[in-house]
Amino acid sequence: MKIPAIKDNRALYRKLAAAAALVFLATLGTLLARHLNLGPERAAPAFRDTGPAGAPIVIEEFTDFACPACRHAYSGVKEIKKAYPGAVRVIFKHYPLTNIHPWSVEAAMRADCAGRQGKFEEYANLLFEFQRDWAMEREPGKIFDEYVEKAGLDRAALDACLADPGTERLVRGDMAEGDMRGINATPTFFVNGRRAVGLGQLVDKARPLIISLK
Amino acid sequence: MKTLKAASFAQWAALAGRAALCLVLAWAGFLKAAAPAEEFAYAIETYRLFPSWMATLASLTVPWAEIYLGLLLFLGLFTRLSAALTGALLLFFQLLLGQAMLRGLPITSCGCFGTARSNPIGVELGLNFLLMALAFLAWSRGRDLLSLDGAIESLPSGGGGKERS
Repeated sequence: MKIPAIKDNRALYRKLAAAAALVFLATLGTLLARHLNLGPERAAPAFRDTGPAGAPIVIEEFTDFACPACRHAYSGVKEIKKAYPGAVRVIFKHYPLTNIHPWSVEAAMRADCAGRQGKFEEYANLLFEFQRDWAMEREPGKIFDEYVEKAGLDRAALDACLADPGTERLVRGDMAEGDMRGINATPTFFVNGRRAVGLGQLVDKARPLIISLK
Repeated sequence: MKTLKAASFAQWAALAGRAALCLVLAWAGFLKAAAPAEEFAYAIETYRLFPSWMATLASLTVPWAEIYLGLLLFLGLFTRLSAALTGALLLFFQLLLGQAMLRGLPITSCGCFGTARSNPIGVELGLNFLLMALAFLAWSRGRDLLSLDGAIESLPSGGGGKERS
């Protein structure tokens, strides 16, 4: 009977221990990098990325068109952009809360399709301004169509865009990114990578950066 | 484990191969693991070989496998096994790319490095051949120089448990 098997396999156990330590550290490092947003930057389409590319203040805005706090924050962000035009870059990302807002994904897709026609902001303004009219409607299609007219969009091009699977995929991609970054409330902002939830926190995080510009 | 001065060209080449494989694999894995899994899953779906659930499963596991294999190769730990698994993974990628090329699938991003960058399929095929050659080199001579396998096996009372790969 061969008894000293453990002794014979000591090198194997050492290697297994080293491999386990390596796997643990690599996992920890990758998850930490993910948590600290050190991974690759996920670009938004150009029509949702406004402001100078080299701006010292970069605000990523995760928003739901049907969320009242997002409507409030959206106008706040616009004011910041207006006050510091050369210093602020805003990257708009969709984070529809589908469990409470049934039409948010469609609204986001429509806004993106308007964006492909160079009118993202116009359509987004309409969605936020008249949010109460469509957000909890049973069938808001007609209301969305009115906005197509108001924003002066090409209807056929918009329909083709909505039928393109890539349009929904883009919105779902934003949602997946938001999930990965631990977003569970809207609006959530990342101001130069630092998280802020709601307009109040956004202003708190942006203020020192704005002061440092002066 | 040989001393550095006595190392042959093949051993140095195998060491360089381990380092190169680590760079490529660990970086490619990190780029995908740090991005939403759905994006890599979509890239896999464009090869039109697997159902959606398999693409999702692969997108959640393959990036981590790449990171671990890259680091194991770099350190020379379970070198032969890591090199063999890397070779098998690369061969699998090669088959995926090859069938896509033959079928003329409209693949705009191979998904190899997430959405961060992408080469044409032909370039990726060539790069994969090179990486497979490096994996073979690492498999055949990768344990000889600066490897944890060699270091651990040369420790006192540690000679009885050589790698069984």
